[in-house]
Amino acid sequence: MSVAAPEIRPAAWREQTVSLGMWVFLATELMFFGGIFMGYLYLRTQFAGEVAQASRHTHEWLGTLNTAILLTSSFSMALAVRFSQLARRETVQRLLWVTAALGAAFLAVKFIEYAMEWHEGLVPGLHFTIVENARTTALFFFLYFLATGVHALHLTIGIITVLWLSWRLRKPPFPDARADDVEVLGLYWHFVDAVWIFLYPLFYLVSLAS
Amino acid sequence: MNSPPRLRVYAVTWIALMALLVATFVLAHFRLGAWNPAVALAIAAAKAVLVALFFMHLRRSSALVVLFAVVAFFALAILFGLSGTDYATRAIHPTPWVAPDRY
Repeated sequence: MSVAAPEIRPAAWREQTVSLGMWVFLATELMFFGGIFMGYLYLRTQFAGEVAQASRHTHEWLGTLNTAILLTSSFSMALAVRFSQLARRETVQRLLWVTAALGAAFLAVKFIEYAMEWHEGLVPGLHFTIVENARTTALFFFLYFLATGVHALHLTIGIITVLWLSWRLRKPPFPDARADDVEVLGLYWHFVDAVWIFLYPLFYLVSLAS
Repeated sequence: MNSPPRLRVYAVTWIALMALLVATFVLAHFRLGAWNPAVALAIAAAKAVLVALFFMHLRRSSALVVLFAVVAFFALAILFGLSGTDYATRAIHPTPWVAPDRY
């Protein structure tokens, strides 16, 4: 007869299954965002000129600022993961606070942008006052609000989870399982950052030159 | 587990990401025609690769994790390819009568 599985798994085994689980989830997330990107690709290839015209309504300076904020938040998140591998609990906790604060700053800029777009009449279906090239502009902004809105939702979930984890780390001990939590949350955070890396040129940089 | 990468690796990755951000923003202001979207997407892809390799530790991950990450993109490419061939070979015919623009 076979012997019972050993109770204590090697650390590498646990680390691998935990990371792999998150990567599988991120693969499904990629399919989810993929549909939005496919919709964009269709619009852009079918109505190239109109999309370029519509994209001039987005605020490229705010988009660029937000990209810088989010890339920096990924930097602090990566450092949190690194120090969690060294079991430096207090450093990890501080870096998680920085990450959450940068995420909140991104959302604040995003909502200022949404408010501006509302006043400029760029919200299809609710408050849309653009007359020239109305149909494609409405489709472009429908995709813009869908993509950035779903992205902001992901970021909000990320911020809440980072704050929750930071709160759990307020007191010792710092078990290996907690370090795995930081690692997995880091993977999620970087994925959300990577989605924005593509949204940024697609919505903000289309026709700055013309 | 192995000792984590040195701090310098993370700092250099962040500086490279910021440099690419400045590059893509500046290049978007030059008239490059069809090269504008190509350059913007190439820089976005470079940034995503940097994030995956150094921030998500794909460079140090097991072959299984790398395989899952690559398969995810491969599956997405198949879906893009199949949808793309459908849409690219379809012509848009306007209907004889179109409802007035309601936006």
